[in-house]
Amino acid sequence: MNDPSLRKFYGWFTALGLLVGLLVVVGYYKDEFREWKVYQRKFVQEETRRATTPQQKLLAETTAVQVRQILLPELHRVDRCTTCHLAVDDPSYGGYPQPLAYHPLHDQHPFEKFGCTICHRGQGRATTVADAHGDVPHWDEPMLPLQYIQASCGQCHQAADNPVAPELARGQQVFEESGCRGCHKLDGIGGIIGPELDKVGARRSPDWLRKHFLAPATVTPGSAMPPQKLSETNLEAIILFMLSQTGEALPGYYASMKVIPSASQGQRLFEQKGCIACHSIDGSGGKIGPALDDVGLRRKPEWMIQHFRDPQAVSPGSVMPRFGFTEAEARALTDFLVHLRDQKVALSLPALMSPVERGRAVFRKYGCAGCHGPDGKGGVPNPNAKTAQQVPGLIYVADGYTKAELKARILNGQKEINALDPKRPPPPLYMPPWRGTINDAEVDDLVAYLFSLKPKGDDAGF
Amino acid sequence: MNVPLPKRIWQAFERTRVGRSIFRVGLPQSNLERAQAMVSSFLLHMQPAKVNRHSLRASYSLGLGLVSLYLFLILIGTGVLLMFYYVPSTQQAYDAMKDLQFVVSAGLLIRNMHRWAAHLMVLFVMLHLCRVFYTGAYKRPREFNWLLGVGLFILTLALSFTGYLLPWDQLAFWAITVGTSIAGYAPVIGQKLRYLMLGGTTVGQEALIRFYALHVFVLPAAAGLMVAIHLWRVRKDGGLSRPDEPGDVVEQIELSQLPTNKTYGLMELARGTTPQVGRNPEDEVFSWPHLVFREILLFLLVVAVVLFLAIFWNAPLEEFANPIHPPNPAKAPWYFLGLQELVSYSAFWGGVVVPGLLVTALALLPYLDRKRVGIGQWFARERVVANTIFSLCLLAAIVFTIIGTYFRGPNWGWVEPWRKPPVVTEGP
Repeated sequence: MNDPSLRKFYGWFTALGLLVGLLVVVGYYKDEFREWKVYQRKFVQEETRRATTPQQKLLAETTAVQVRQILLPELHRVDRCTTCHLAVDDPSYGGYPQPLAYHPLHDQHPFEKFGCTICHRGQGRATTVADAHGDVPHWDEPMLPLQYIQASCGQCHQAADNPVAPELARGQQVFEESGCRGCHKLDGIGGIIGPELDKVGARRSPDWLRKHFLAPATVTPGSAMPPQKLSETNLEAIILFMLSQTGEALPGYYASMKVIPSASQGQRLFEQKGCIACHSIDGSGGKIGPALDDVGLRRKPEWMIQHFRDPQAVSPGSVMPRFGFTEAEARALTDFLVHLRDQKVALSLPALMSPVERGRAVFRKYGCAGCHGPDGKGGVPNPNAKTAQQVPGLIYVADGYTKAELKARILNGQKEINALDPKRPPPPLYMPPWRGTINDAEVDDLVAYLFSLKPKGDDAGF
Repeated sequence: MNVPLPKRIWQAFERTRVGRSIFRVGLPQSNLERAQAMVSSFLLHMQPAKVNRHSLRASYSLGLGLVSLYLFLILIGTGVLLMFYYVPSTQQAYDAMKDLQFVVSAGLLIRNMHRWAAHLMVLFVMLHLCRVFYTGAYKRPREFNWLLGVGLFILTLALSFTGYLLPWDQLAFWAITVGTSIAGYAPVIGQKLRYLMLGGTTVGQEALIRFYALHVFVLPAAAGLMVAIHLWRVRKDGGLSRPDEPGDVVEQIELSQLPTNKTYGLMELARGTTPQVGRNPEDEVFSWPHLVFREILLFLLVVAVVLFLAIFWNAPLEEFANPIHPPNPAKAPWYFLGLQELVSYSAFWGGVVVPGLLVTALALLPYLDRKRVGIGQWFARERVVANTIFSLCLLAAIVFTIIGTYFRGPNWGWVEPWRKPPVVTEGP
């Protein structure tokens, strides 16, 4: 084998063999070096430093350096955040800088049941800072900035029910009062001019939303949406509310928070089941059953729960039917009735309201104010519309329409809006047909409300 | 004698009972042993004991077929490892990709190697096809092996295409949506064919499981079998193609012409320019070490290149597949972009007629171009017409692919890659 022509082979074998070996070593090193190991070692160091007894020291030093994760099959998540954030459940780490800071709220939201990303978003499976925090291309859910964290409460809790998420409740209020539903659908209620908002929070960043509210056309060229005049606090609140609309359907345990016994859940039940037909509150309602204003003083909650489950069991001879309420529903109704005695304000129960009052609620429910202005006073710009380049106000509809005409107008809408200058682009906003969205009783109430808008003693409208 | 240590260890092992039972011949010392080594080893016996010097010339074959084979082997190796983690479910596939990246030891490296080897294999199979064309190597007696090669080319594309869907990200979902809709343009059977591929009318769980089964079993098994036949045919057709020499027997040797008193002659029953037939002995060298060493070196080189690419460039992984948010433009895998560009002009002509004609022409080529000239040399003067036609088709394919890859933006409109792309916005 000393053939000189074979000599060069051995050179090549050595060179290529070494090259492959080197690449394997580089590949191994690159795979073996992971950011999270640095953080884990720091944690071990800190634990060792804090150890006071030899046993604690030994325990700290033998902490395994390994990926930690919270498996959340119900939420379709694996959260590996605790691989770096190792002290989230240790109060003695309160005030430490990240990633070793302690996270409060563990009692209300045990991390092993909720994980992290359900509230904070980001990429739970990732184990590098950039990937996990979601600041990388091709990941749709970056971490939610802490100022908007209340948006996440809305996934499980009713916005209005949660006393620790006031910003969320405020955001919902701004949303309803600004008339957003006039153009946008949310949970199936609203107009068709703009896109549905059910998943907007999962798709848009706070920054995008802010630009969009202040000047829609800058982020969505050709948008028909008028710029919104919102105060800074209201703007922040509505951005937060938008961020809460992720469209994610949460499984049983988590979703049950929405129907956790609460006064407002009880009120909804009270309305739905028509209790007012037999009972009265504040003097209005049926006379068959007793008035309920002070029932919270007369009865114990246990008695009421039992009563809702089976009326005859606690008051023999009662004519109240068994409604088949569940335990949770019975608790919610009890909660509502117990709270009645604290609330001196009149409750806005539809059955107790006049048509005009109900119509005002309809006006609010479908966001008419979004285009026609608060209380139908007009003033929303609609460039190139013949009506002074604005969406017309509704104060004087009583002069121009009969009730039947107005009803038809609401149901059929008006797609073509007369242009001031036919050469310019047509006005972007138009009256959508509400047939199919709004029900008949609601239109009647709405018409009654609109007719009531005419200022008293003013007959010189047109 | 100054024997290096590795060699001494090897020789010591060879002398043991176990060593002798495995390596019957051992490291060959004489020409007889060199021939025996080739014949007695399963892995080596599919190659001849002696090989023509012309076949060893790197400037002739460029080793393209061998590189393709090595890439195929790397793909099988890395593919099996990936199968240990991958779950062909639309709910879990994407998560498996993320786990490979973030928590599986060397998971990302293996996936990167698989991805790079796959793209390289498509490329090298194409290059191999070009080499065989330009050297006229498909001519008699290698017509059928060319046909097998065309089949392997299509199988390679199918393997790559089916693998493309498996990560279940936006890239995968829309590339397959676009790719399968090209198939849907075929007349009469197009939509049925697409339905058959996808197991439905859109890319979903059924498509994923079909592509998975094809990708990890059906297609690799078919490709493996065809590679075996392809290599066996190389041997039976007389080794690599080379220029005819005086005395070469090209005609089929009839069984009756063989000496009847030697049964082993059947083993070497071969047509055409076998090393044994009419060959000047000076042109031949022993396969061990001249061929085998070169093959091993080439394998090391291929592994090194794939490792290098895999270490420094990650395989892409986009957002989780979202059927209601198509990227604009949605693009097929790069090797189908020329086709997609053609489809943008005319779905029927670009998606059906042109590719159909091209594949048919490739398959029929050795039966149409029958003149035995210019075999075994690059760009032979006698084949200037054939080479020109092929080059023009190749150029067109390359140009259309480059246009489809770099010059097409939103709505398949013309963009210049050196300019900043226009910002595309959509409603909330």
